[in-house]
Amino acid sequence: MPKTVIPFGPQHPVLPEPLHLKLVMQDEKIIEAIPAIGYVHRGLEKLTELKEFTQNVYVVERICGICSCMHAMAYCQGIETLMNLQIPDRARFLRVIWAELHRIHSHLLWMGLLADSFGFESLFMQIWRNREKVMDIMEETAGSRVIISVNTIGGTRRDISKELLLKTKVILEEIREDMKRIEPVFLNDYTVKHRLVGIGTLTKEDAQRHCAVGPMARASGIAMDFRTTGYSAYGELEFEPIVRTDGDCYARTDVRMQEIYQSINLIEEAIGKLPAGEIAVPFKGNPTGEVISRVEQPRGEVLYYLRANGTKNLERMRVRTPTFANIPTLLQMLPGSELADVPVLILTIDPCISCTER
Amino acid sequence: MIENVKQINVQELLHEVQSMQYDGCRLITATCIDNNDDTIDLYYHFDKDYEIRNLKLTVPKGSAVPSISRIYLCALLVENEMKELFGLNVENIAIDYGGHMLLSDGAPENPMLRQQITIVKKGEENNA
Repeated sequence: MPKTVIPFGPQHPVLPEPLHLKLVMQDEKIIEAIPAIGYVHRGLEKLTELKEFTQNVYVVERICGICSCMHAMAYCQGIETLMNLQIPDRARFLRVIWAELHRIHSHLLWMGLLADSFGFESLFMQIWRNREKVMDIMEETAGSRVIISVNTIGGTRRDISKELLLKTKVILEEIREDMKRIEPVFLNDYTVKHRLVGIGTLTKEDAQRHCAVGPMARASGIAMDFRTTGYSAYGELEFEPIVRTDGDCYARTDVRMQEIYQSINLIEEAIGKLPAGEIAVPFKGNPTGEVISRVEQPRGEVLYYLRANGTKNLERMRVRTPTFANIPTLLQMLPGSELADVPVLILTIDPCISCTER
Repeated sequence: MIENVKQINVQELLHEVQSMQYDGCRLITATCIDNNDDTIDLYYHFDKDYEIRNLKLTVPKGSAVPSISRIYLCALLVENEMKELFGLNVENIAIDYGGHMLLSDGAPENPMLRQQITIVKKGEENNA
């Protein structure tokens, strides 16, 4: 049987963003896969050299809508380290609350897309109905639904009132109950399991070799979650990384499902421990020096490298997003898979190409 | 202010990266910085148990740097980026996109390098 090369993407019903794969096929089996990107490169790193360091908060939020809050959080943490700023305790907890809301809405978005990719329309709608509730919370607390723009250098731009915090807890409880109802369908349904179990297996050794991050790594048995280092207020909250060992599409789905509950718990705990006080500290001057700032986004660890020279403009800002780290795992997972499994397999790395290309 | 930085030269790069791999480190990424002169700072960031380790090289612009993608395959994306955006000649990348991973035909060359812009005032064109 001769080899056939099938182009997959960049426009494909299952892909929300443009990723291209050159699939070398033998019959229905993939024997080689070469990923290609480059459809949405915007040169945002260059833009940050031209804008003032205070304006860059808004630039980094636009690297990716889904994890915009955590991009700004990582950037602000970096600048605060350079400027020796100690942000108020209330701001640290508020950042965690909004970051975890973002994680829930990102995971729900992904789960809806996954359900859609294997043709389970009603499951897709059930999941996105819950995501809508999270976005409503963000709108009420921050004024926007996706790019909520709450982080600023020195703290947060907004506070959350006691009434809104109570309302948030009630809505999160509703989401938890609803997800408990949906979870058995996602994890026990015959059709869903048929599409996910044993597909796209990434062993622990391969995940380590390809330097996978986030739920990809955790589903392959690597207990790596940067939140456990205790940045922001995470050091004062109780949680453990959620780890599965099978390394297949099902394990990655399970990890994200459990992380939704984990994020709800973290928000509830953060609300319970939220101290009173200021939400931001003023600052003067410009940053100097080099720093690396890392936070755990929904898709995994993001790294910010910043070099400042005492002026209003940074000399360099570098971002390594989680999808950038996870794309090489496709080179491992795709060969040997069936063509029909490609959409589901690609989706389970939760690719964000806007992030990857910046 | 960055912790655990080891300054090395190009000849030591592959040996040092190999040592990182033997030590069980995860490659996070690499970072290029235009030093505003004829050189580029090049960092390779690694992680082990949440502790970051960095290898730092300072190389002339446009110089050749060996690819580490034979040791860490996942370096291939960042190495293509270094090649396209900063004009470093990264040799033997596992998958070389030939300068078209992010940039298309007709895009500015090495756009992340600082461009030298000469401002010529009106009326001074002939003297410039």
